[in-house]
Amino acid sequence: MSQTLPSYAGSGLDDKSLLEAYRIMRTIREFEERVHREFATGEIPGFVHLYAGEEASAVGVCMHLDGRDAIASTHRGHGHCIAKGVDVKAMMAEIYGRQTGSCHGKGGSMHIADLSKGMLGANGIVGGGPPLICGTALAAKLQGTGGVGVAFFGDGASNQGTTLEALNLATVWNLPAVFVAENNGYAEATSSTWSVASDNIADRAAGFGMPGVIIDGFDFFAVYEAAGEAIQRAREGGGPTLIEVKFTRYFGHFEGDQQTYRGDEVARARETLDCLLQFRRRAVDAGHLGTGQLDDIDAEVGTLIDAAVAEARAAPKPTDADLTTDVYVSY
Amino acid sequence: MTTVGIIANPMSGRDIRRLVARASVFPNAEKTSMILRLAAAAGALGVQRLLLSTDTFGIAAGVLRADRHRVGRQDPCWPRLEFCDLEPPTSTAADTRALVRQMRAHGAGLIVLLGGDGTVRAAAAELGDTPVLPLSTGTNNAFPQMWEATVAGVAAALVATGAVDAGVATRRAKVLHVQCGHREELALVDVCVSTVGYVGARALWQTAALRELYCAFAEPHAIGLSSIAAQLRPTARDSLRGVAVRLAGDDPAPRSVLAPIAPGTLAHVGVLDVSDMAFHERWVSQVPAGTVAVDGEREIEFGRHEQVSVTLSDRGPLVVDVPAVLRAAAERRLLATESALPTPVPRVAMR
Repeated sequence: MSQTLPSYAGSGLDDKSLLEAYRIMRTIREFEERVHREFATGEIPGFVHLYAGEEASAVGVCMHLDGRDAIASTHRGHGHCIAKGVDVKAMMAEIYGRQTGSCHGKGGSMHIADLSKGMLGANGIVGGGPPLICGTALAAKLQGTGGVGVAFFGDGASNQGTTLEALNLATVWNLPAVFVAENNGYAEATSSTWSVASDNIADRAAGFGMPGVIIDGFDFFAVYEAAGEAIQRAREGGGPTLIEVKFTRYFGHFEGDQQTYRGDEVARARETLDCLLQFRRRAVDAGHLGTGQLDDIDAEVGTLIDAAVAEARAAPKPTDADLTTDVYVSY
Repeated sequence: MTTVGIIANPMSGRDIRRLVARASVFPNAEKTSMILRLAAAAGALGVQRLLLSTDTFGIAAGVLRADRHRVGRQDPCWPRLEFCDLEPPTSTAADTRALVRQMRAHGAGLIVLLGGDGTVRAAAAELGDTPVLPLSTGTNNAFPQMWEATVAGVAAALVATGAVDAGVATRRAKVLHVQCGHREELALVDVCVSTVGYVGARALWQTAALRELYCAFAEPHAIGLSSIAAQLRPTARDSLRGVAVRLAGDDPAPRSVLAPIAPGTLAHVGVLDVSDMAFHERWVSQVPAGTVAVDGEREIEFGRHEQVSVTLSDRGPLVVDVPAVLRAAAERRLLATESALPTPVPRVAMR
């Protein structure tokens, strides 16, 4: 049977990988949809910025990464965390501000990190990630690990000096870095077509001496293919790449955002462009996966998210004594 | 009023071949400059009205800005610019098709396209008998040719005003019709069936997966997949046949071709056999499952139960032959005058 199927395997996507890709994307989607519902109850402290709709980007990129590699993220970081292997229950507990969270409940949504997994953290500083990745990429290069650094950033961050400096430095030092500009069309409420001078973030790459490509962010396969080439290039010493992923976010900039600045692109995206819908349809039509397998994954993910929420709500909050721990790093 | 349409594709020249090959970047600002050079030339030769595409990437905005700056300097030769709105723009090939329909409906006697193979292919479906002048700004550009925009403007004007008639000025391009289940696609240069499983990043650069190549024409000096066929069976744009090639992939092959399949990429490709394609002959693909790429871009995913067929047709778009137009102009002295005394000729420039 496999000989008559179109070849996904040549690109590293065997049936097992396809299932994994779907599982991770579905986990992100269910996680975000659930946080969206739970946030409305008022029980979650602080802010959350949801990644629903953008799953193909995080997963398409991170599936090429391993223990040698690091990623830097944004304020919209849940998707990157899950794609890089951060524990889902620890994430949910962190969002709920509980002691069992990945940062002991002290950071919340925008600071979820797991250095053991190469996840440098969600980051509330717009444009804060790219310079960090220049650091990890330099370390990988000097230590000869073959590792790469991937900086995820948004269209707002693409205008920040820190991002532009990082692009320049990565080329000048020939760093094994990949810069993924996730252009969802809005920096908070500011449209990217208004605020990004070159209109395409990828067009800036040529000015920084690196290749820039534009990829449909609703298409997992397109992201996977482009990211694979960029990451391989970086590993082989070919230098950095800028990938601009274009898509839309399903929720507001933050939960509570009235989104008066948007049209009806979300409805259209959910119905026709949605990355999970597309993936499911194409993988099943090509004969690689069965709908039963995917439905099973949906159910398992639902159970996992339910458990994560239940455990988070039952976990203790930090106490007064916790105020003075985790303040300094011990070397 | 003599009207010419100009459609500039803001998305041409930005795909993964910037990364996996060394394809050049064509800045949108350059497309704006090309439109202004076209306008200056066409206006000087009697085109009074230009219909222009709109986009959210700054090309049309750049043209509008330059047009506004001219207000203080009255130039009788500068054409009237009208922007065609799309409600709403989709930023896909559908926009190109919608713009062609709109411009034809508004009286465009000729349409200039700034884009690559993909742009021309999208337009071809809607052009009918309206002549098209493709200017290359995409990646491969096996179909559109490189003409300087000012020269293209001269040619466009000579055809649109009727100074050079369509019979001399245009050639009917060959076209390949692809059918796969309910889907139909058009290719102006080549169709490639491969075992690659998904459309993905669209561009095709993994030679081991290529199985069948069908070319409407194959010029040895061209870049892209058709260059594979061109090294074995050169096929001119105006010849009355196409060429079909079966590729060996990783299997041993009786012959191998070294071809520039993408900018910056010369690849060894094993070839099993080469055949002529006649018009209206239906070729059925023997590849059981994979993707079909049209003009170098993966477009259709097909599985075991779907059949892919390719047919060569002689009824493609009517393409302006720029050298032929300018040769005719020279022969008929359309751009020259015989006079004893030099008369001051107003210099028409894009300011």
